[in-house]
Amino acid sequence: MSTTTVLRDPTAEAAPVRRARRTPPWSLDDITVALMDIGKMRGDEFIDRLEQLFEERGVATKRWKKPTNTRTAPVEMLQEIAEEADVVVVALSDCGSCTSCSTHDLNDLDARGVPGVSVLTEEFRSAFAGQCETIGFDGASIFVPHPVQNRTTDQLYAMAENVIEDVICAITRRK
Amino acid sequence: MSIGVEDKAHDIMESAVSFKIYVKKACETCTLLQPLIARLVETGQATVFVQDDPAFFSPLAIDDSTLEQSFHDDIEVTPTLLKFADGRETDRVFGWDRAEWRRITGLADLGEDLRAFQPGCGSKSREPGVYEHLVARFGDSGLESRKIVITGFEDPLEAAFERGWTDGLPVIPPTDERILRMLGGTRRDKHEVVGRVPPNLSPVTIEKIAINAVMAGCKPEYMPVVIAAVEAALEPVFTMHGLLCTTCFSGPIIVVNGPIAKRIGMNWGMNALGQGNRANATIGRALQLIIRNVGGGIPGDLDRSTLGGPGKYTFCFAEDETDPSWEPLSVARGLERGENAVTLFQGDGIQGVVDQRSATPEQMAKSLAMSLLAVGHPKLAEFTNAMLVLSPEHYAIFRNAGWDRARITAELHAEMVRPGAELVFGAQGVGEGIAADRAGEMVNKFWPEGLLIVRAGGQAGLYSAICGGWTGGRFRHESQPVTRRIAL
Repeated sequence: MSTTTVLRDPTAEAAPVRRARRTPPWSLDDITVALMDIGKMRGDEFIDRLEQLFEERGVATKRWKKPTNTRTAPVEMLQEIAEEADVVVVALSDCGSCTSCSTHDLNDLDARGVPGVSVLTEEFRSAFAGQCETIGFDGASIFVPHPVQNRTTDQLYAMAENVIEDVICAITRRK
Repeated sequence: MSIGVEDKAHDIMESAVSFKIYVKKACETCTLLQPLIARLVETGQATVFVQDDPAFFSPLAIDDSTLEQSFHDDIEVTPTLLKFADGRETDRVFGWDRAEWRRITGLADLGEDLRAFQPGCGSKSREPGVYEHLVARFGDSGLESRKIVITGFEDPLEAAFERGWTDGLPVIPPTDERILRMLGGTRRDKHEVVGRVPPNLSPVTIEKIAINAVMAGCKPEYMPVVIAAVEAALEPVFTMHGLLCTTCFSGPIIVVNGPIAKRIGMNWGMNALGQGNRANATIGRALQLIIRNVGGGIPGDLDRSTLGGPGKYTFCFAEDETDPSWEPLSVARGLERGENAVTLFQGDGIQGVVDQRSATPEQMAKSLAMSLLAVGHPKLAEFTNAMLVLSPEHYAIFRNAGWDRARITAELHAEMVRPGAELVFGAQGVGEGIAADRAGEMVNKFWPEGLLIVRAGGQAGLYSAICGGWTGGRFRHESQPVTRRIAL
């Protein structure tokens, strides 16, 4: 990170510096949830289980997978999600570049009308906060234990089961 | 230089005394003083700061090409000699002034071979635009607005979009340097609160106006016009609050009168209502950005316009005052000819009037009236105001017949009086119209003061333009256009 530019806020400063994320829907009735796999290894297993858990709850999902976790999602993919889904779950970030890129994706989709939540490992809590700070976005996040790469599939499934209710709260206005 | 002279210098310059000398290679006087300055440096008590070429005076000099030291010592001229005693500045001299340099250094034989006086050059730290840059970088800008730090490789233009600061077009990133330059365009204190901007009724300071003017692309010299436009928009009778939140098409249209229009390069001629002129484009845009960013008037939130209009990006132009037979709008509205003023009108985008056949003023008045009757809806009356932008060729038909503004206005009104029976709800098979109880009256299209005429446009073209007024104008005394002097 080489440069810093300081701008002055042109607003009345009544709102926080960070842009609030788009208000999610009241419930997941008639809603399609985008499950966006950021392309990191083992993330697909976690998402497989999330997909099942949504299905058990009668919630429609649709999956997308980024070509690489080291870049932001291709514009075509973001456009497709905006066209075909209402909310998004972005998973599973467990490294620096994937955290940065997936936070941009979360922000980009929010700007396209798709509010969502990012699932990351605990280790990247501060990286997510820092990236949100830089882009001025108050993104929603859910954290699972770190690391994930050396877990068994059952352990990854259990992680998904542990957070599914939190994920639903994050993509709806349910408390 | 002899040993004796050096000793003498050491005697005079006690250890608590020191000197700084600011120079630049591009300055002829500095070059002339090179041997003399070298002599002072050799005393061990003088330090040379070079503003441009670090090789100048090398290795004796300190490179001040960032101009940080020049800024901190508030250098205006090169060379400047400063004297410090116990760390505090006690004396300074600009340029070469032998007597002064001798007095300050205490070296009675200094510059014996030089003439008595030679002026210096301007300090690089005082070059146009540089000073504000230095204040922003090394000084206290005095700005109070919240800092938004953009780190890494993020593009500040994109950051402005992300934060919702723009009207959909890119904005100039509001850095301290640019804001300070913009503030240089006004004498008003940056912390002065100008008013409260709807819909959130948030206070707007001169500083916030400057920030948004930067973003809009204004030059500092536009600031007096932007400030006057904001003040006019915030006058209660302008009803900016309702105008902003309305479901109608309207927004503030700014007409600039007086010599300032020419001074800042505004367009009143060809394509006056269109794109391409920086002052026209950015002054109108600055007002809209202030309403958006300070007031919180965001389309889709509290700006509820059904269709909006392109004028809501910016709509600002100057009146053509080059024809002495024409009374400018600001004069018709009570100011003196030659006074700088803005008039804000609550209006829509333009409706063109094409008439290439009418040759007499009577025909022309009838023709323009026919088009004006369509404002809002042909069957509505005393419901909106209107602005007629009269082109030079259309105006010439009136002028050649001796009709002035007052006559044109009166004749247009006279041509727009209609029987109420034709206009009431349901009449002519159209539901829209005026109240049934007016069927027996002769009805005016506009209030007598509700038709504003402005002269603008290119020399060729038998066309004029109508800007329909906002429906809030039906409350005759509650919502009116506003004319305000521009304070320089």
